[in-house]
Amino acid sequence: MTDPGKVLATFFVNGERHECAFAPHKTLLEVLREDLQLTGTKHGCELGECGACTVQIDGVPVLSCLVVALEAVGKQIRTVEGLADGPTLHPLQETFADLGAAQCGYCTPGVLMTAEALLRRDRCPSRDTIKQCLAGNLCRCTGYLKIFEAVELAAARLRGEPAEPRKETIHGS
Amino acid sequence: MKPFTYVLPHTLAEAHTAAKKAGAVLKGAGIDLVDRLKERIEAPPEVVNLLPLKNDLAGIADDGGGLRIGALTTLRQIAEAAALQGPAFGAVRIAAGLTATPLVRNRATLGGNLLQLARCWYLRSAAFGCLHGGKGPTCLAMTGENRYHSILGWHDCVRVHPSNLAPALLACGAEYTTFFDGKQERRPLAALFPDEPTAQKAEHTLRDGEILVAIHLPKPSGDVRSTYQETREKDSFDWATTAAAVQVTLQDGTITDASIVLGAVSPVPRPRAEAAKSLIGKKPGDAAFLKAAEMAVAGASPLSQNAYKLSLCKAIVRAALTEVTR
Repeated sequence: MTDPGKVLATFFVNGERHECAFAPHKTLLEVLREDLQLTGTKHGCELGECGACTVQIDGVPVLSCLVVALEAVGKQIRTVEGLADGPTLHPLQETFADLGAAQCGYCTPGVLMTAEALLRRDRCPSRDTIKQCLAGNLCRCTGYLKIFEAVELAAARLRGEPAEPRKETIHGS
Repeated sequence: MKPFTYVLPHTLAEAHTAAKKAGAVLKGAGIDLVDRLKERIEAPPEVVNLLPLKNDLAGIADDGGGLRIGALTTLRQIAEAAALQGPAFGAVRIAAGLTATPLVRNRATLGGNLLQLARCWYLRSAAFGCLHGGKGPTCLAMTGENRYHSILGWHDCVRVHPSNLAPALLACGAEYTTFFDGKQERRPLAALFPDEPTAQKAEHTLRDGEILVAIHLPKPSGDVRSTYQETREKDSFDWATTAAAVQVTLQDGTITDASIVLGAVSPVPRPRAEAAKSLIGKKPGDAAFLKAAEMAVAGASPLSQNAYKLSLCKAIVRAALTEVTR
């Protein structure tokens, strides 16, 4: 029997169905991490300012810390755990690893989810478009340059181009 | 957050009935409200979520006399709307596209942007008790840290109105519709904000349970153009330190109608009617724009840390007028 202080709901996360009981005032971020044990999505500022908690709802990147979980019931939720295809990393995950675009890594899941939505919408985004798109995902380590380069490289690979990182990116100039 | 009862209405009438209960609050996307609940500056017993009514309350459509923008339309939808691509509503499109970040704009609603609580750091901190928050005897910003606060039209509270869509919509002659006690009522947008924005007044004039349904923009007649500019400390993802929305109508190279509305400088968005009037009958030109910009800040009373807003305000009014008449 469900705890009277909780609601029972079904979520669709990364293509899988999850049923769970949770307090109705919980945010989607809290349900993902605490009830579904999907801890790839990070708790950051909790106030919609840092983007660490970014997930996609029906393909649109949103801040899960500001979404009341009940609003996501019945929708397709995608978290960083759903990016890889089995053992095959998403091109963004590969380029982030190759280029050192993740340092401490705390912002990375949010950045990836925002960037993935961008690359579905725009196959060839300009540097400015990438910057604007990622304006809500704060990173305190990289200075952003490697992130922008990793998104550009992933975009090129997704277009089927045999793109490699620039030598300067890997070894410095 | 403290636990609350979560109401999912099926109709506007149901939402209205639920929201009229003592302490109940209405929620759009919750960008502002969820913040306030987490910060424990509010702990309502009941939250009425309007999102189930999206079919009726979201979207942009021609309603015959102009455009109707549903209160639950997202800022992204407004920024990208084909219906707002013309020069007449540039201010609205630009203001929506400048707000916060893409992640916020993907969910944040027009209604939430217009009705959000002021962003004063004293008001928003559970550590302080201020007059506007009903937890203290004075406005703490008036004599405290006030670099982002009001420079004109303030009384006993120097908060600034945080919406950047409000000045843009006002400049474009918008009206709004609400739902209350089974009836829809339509008024000029200026009526959504208190005439005398004292500490005791809310940021808006809606009654308990009254629901903002839509904003209406009139059909432009003639060569109508508008734009919006704001200054910030950071280029992206920041609150405006000053904002200006202007709309002008040109006929044979002469300005025949004008409106100038300032944001982020007063507890309510501030139409500057005299400044706008000074442009009527004039040819677009820097002398006229400079004069209008001076008049736009006439009567200002800056606080100890924010006199800088005066020159910024004048600069963006002048720049916006120059841009829109180019």
